Amino acid sequence: MDCLLKHAQGLYISRQRITIATLMVIFAFAFHSFYSLGIHGFGATPPEWFPVGWTEIFDVVVSLNTVAFFLAFSLIVFAYGLWSWAFLPSPAVSYTVAAFRGLFGQNVRIQYRIGKRFRVFLESGRHIDVRCRIKEASSGDWFVYRFTSCPLTGNNLYSIALRHGMSSRNRRFTTWIGHDELHHRALLMAKAMASVTPAS
Amino acid sequence: MADDDTLRTVYELVQLMSSLNETRRAILLALSHVYPRSVSGVQLGRLIGYSGKSRSLYRGVLTHMKEDGMILVDELTPRLHAIRINSEHPLLSVLVEMCRKFGEDTSKIYAKALEE
Repeated sequence: MDCLLKHAQGLYISRQRITIATLMVIFAFAFHSFYSLGIHGFGATPPEWFPVGWTEIFDVVVSLNTVAFFLAFSLIVFAYGLWSWAFLPSPAVSYTVAAFRGLFGQNVRIQYRIGKRFRVFLESGRHIDVRCRIKEASSGDWFVYRFTSCPLTGNNLYSIALRHGMSSRNRRFTTWIGHDELHHRALLMAKAMASVTPAS
Repeated sequence: MADDDTLRTVYELVQLMSSLNETRRAILLALSHVYPRSVSGVQLGRLIGYSGKSRSLYRGVLTHMKEDGMILVDELTPRLHAIRINSEHPLLSVLVEMCRKFGEDTSKIYAKALEE
């Protein structure tokens, strides 16, 4: 693995640990603050055959406090999900951008957008969309890229895609790429896109 | 001297093979040498010297290669897959042909590894 990616991997792991530790602290704090201010019930009464101890638990569980607590907690989880969806560690961004600049020249226009997505604009006016996954949950592979070309018009797209080790879907070339193939397969993608002749 | 079409195909094949990473290259070479046999995920993992679990191989690299039409995977049971090379792929068909023609000794090594 490239040292930039190694760095990014280390950063990601340690950030994840810090975030989870912080989440636990926030969880404890939220738990404390939501239940220490007094219980606000809905006015629901438990069935009469409940033992007394259970009735008290029932009052605590079925209350506005619990609803608010769950809202707050899901907000925290949502914030964590958004954070891990949106951002790629910066060494990985520089690795990706450097690979494309090395391939297509220093002046190539590359857009980096939220959601770990890149868009590389080629000289021909076409572009390649690149999406990065930091860690694939199913296989445990790090930094897997998804390449998607812009929509193309042309004949025999499928056979051109196959000849460049890709598949075509909805008139776009698509493929999954490991981090160590980024440079060469981006080259193949550009070559494949250049060899598409518009349908007459 | 080979004709232009063959040379072009071989050129594209070399380009494709060198663009792939080690794991994918090893998979293609192993599968094209054992063709027309198909192998299971565990066998393939052993053939290419893969240290991880065959399940992670299957869910990652193999799924991606299947999507790109390089290999064919038949699901015999949910846990047992028969993996073979796509011999109708325009470039890999040439690889398979070369392996059948010149790769007899290599095929023997792979076949022996499979028997164990």
